[in-house]
Amino acid sequence: MSAVVGGSIYVPRADVPVAELPALLLPAYGETVVMVGIVMAIVLVVGTPLGVLLHNAAPGGLFERPALHAVLGWIISVGRSLPFLILMASIVPFTRFLTGTNIGIAAAVVPMSLAGIAFFTRIVENALRSVPPSIVRVARASGGSNLQIMRSAQFGEAVPAVLGGLTIQVIAMIEYSAIAGTIGAGGIGYVAVTYGYQRFDNTVMLATILILVATVAFVQVAGDRLVRWVTPQKRLQRA
Amino acid sequence: MISLNELTKTYGRGADSVTVLDRLNFEVGAGEIFAVTGPSGAGKSTLAQCINLLERPTSGSVVVNGEDLSSLPEKRLRAARRRIGTVFQSASLLSRRTASENIALPLEYLGVTPGEIRARVGELIDRVGLGPKAHSYPFQLSGGQAQRVGIARALALRPAILLADEATSGLDPDTTSSVVELLKQLRTDLDLTVVFITHEMDTVRQIADSVARLERGRIVETGALVDLLTDHGSPLGRALQPRLRFAAADDDAATWYVTYDSADVPGDWIQRVSVDLAVPVHLLGASVETVHGINTGSATLGIAAASDDAVRAVLAKYGLSGTPDASRETGVGGAPVSPVRSGAVPALEGAA
Ligand SMILES: Nc1ncnc2c1ncn2[C@@H]1O[C@H](COP(=O)(O)OP(=O)(O)OP(=O)(O)O)[C@@H](O)[C@H]1O
Ligand SMILES: [Mg+2]
Repeated sequence: MSAVVGGSIYVPRADVPVAELPALLLPAYGETVVMVGIVMAIVLVVGTPLGVLLHNAAPGGLFERPALHAVLGWIISVGRSLPFLILMASIVPFTRFLTGTNIGIAAAVVPMSLAGIAFFTRIVENALRSVPPSIVRVARASGGSNLQIMRSAQFGEAVPAVLGGLTIQVIAMIEYSAIAGTIGAGGIGYVAVTYGYQRFDNTVMLATILILVATVAFVQVAGDRLVRWVTPQKRLQRA
Repeated sequence: MISLNELTKTYGRGADSVTVLDRLNFEVGAGEIFAVTGPSGAGKSTLAQCINLLERPTSGSVVVNGEDLSSLPEKRLRAARRRIGTVFQSASLLSRRTASENIALPLEYLGVTPGEIRARVGELIDRVGLGPKAHSYPFQLSGGQAQRVGIARALALRPAILLADEATSGLDPDTTSSVVELLKQLRTDLDLTVVFITHEMDTVRQIADSVARLERGRIVETGALVDLLTDHGSPLGRALQPRLRFAAADDDAATWYVTYDSADVPGDWIQRVSVDLAVPVHLLGASVETVHGINTGSATLGIAAASDDAVRAVLAKYGLSGTPDASRETGVGGAPVSPVRSGAVPALEGAA
């Protein structure tokens, strides 16, 4: 019987019997969900305002700040261009400074959040860019403050695009969590690597693959539903 | 009431700067509809944005009801914007809000209580005749209905000035007429000052009391609509005449472009001109309509022989003014008129 104890796993010698799979995989799956959940919360809270800021600091935005836009854009591009494994390794000192450790969920959340914020900021910026400028002009002419305009006109119109991007983001974060698993962050990725890859346990490998495929498919379907639901035209024309 | 004094807008700085609006002056009284026309790139939308204070003028001023809005500090500009309602091209509605919710937008921004918003929006929805569509989303509205929502939204804060930039562009003629009628009605009921920007001369004829033509950032001509339509010397007046596609004249006949030039042109003038000149007059195209109770319009004629001066003199006798070779007209403005050859043009053989 295998169990997850404080992020370290007792590894049996032969393939894990099918009957014992749930006991092995369920806690790991829970860890993945917690990891991605925490990261997504941080990403939404930080990335959303950052994306709105980036969009409006650009030329033609509500408060043009070319210098700020250039610096912010450059930092995000650097963050986006590093492969996740490299990013994770290169910020280990920073991670240890923040969390006091460089293994486990807490340590994985730091690089995942950084990569995720960079990713989501671009998604939000892109979604806002697709809102016609005439909508923003209407909001300004209606006497809206910048904050009101960003909320109701820009973000309000971009919600379906942001949610579509969010779906892609969650799937990318599940993938990142698997990569983070290799540095002992736990989760389904860790199980896949330690059992499936290092011990050639095909049963576990197959099971983790099935779980990941099912999860990604579920996230995609849920995301599509959500986008449909927040787009009046799609929601009402289905009937 | 709104008046522009030496309004100038320059984009860019130094050698690269372009002056898009060049010392504009005009005044529009309460209850008056002032149309601004001009070719693409003339600066019409820039003018609109200077009037509703989305852009700051480089110099000069926009004065609304005696207060100079263009010099207000940034913070008070937002409050000042609320005194000017703007109707945008193709309405520009928020796609995820219903008609009512779109109309409520300026009220929400102002911080009006939900109860008051509901009451005011209900009033406005009825005012523009959209009661049954109150809870429809923009994709469920026709172009004309969407534009009514845009008008209601512009009126939400009870502005003294209504500014429309290409508000009817892209609508079919019937829908344009109904939107125009609504604007005229609102102008009368609410004593609104309306600045109506469009490149469509047909719409100008329907709606305007006064017209200005903007070209390369300058007002090249302005006046009351009726005066312009009956002034043969006015290029704007001629541009305002209904445009028509006309047939080509016979090879031995000259093409004449004739405009109504006075309030009392006889109804059978073509017959009479033909008799006076003693040559057949072919009607190649014509459009006549009543604007503010006066017949106005133009006709293209094919007239054989006779000297240009004789034709001019006879036309003048009946309150008309003529120019030989109508193709010259295409330079005046609006879409170029291309002659179409058609066999089914009646000849008025008045002299036979
Ligand atoms: N922000 C800007 N910076 C520089 N030039 C501008 C800017 N906005 C407009 N212009 C220029 O000002 C001129 C007038 O533009 P404007 O949009 O006012 O024309 P318009 O009369 O509304 O044309 P249209 O009928 O095509 O809408 C154009 O030559 C345009 O290139
Ligand atoms: Mg324009």
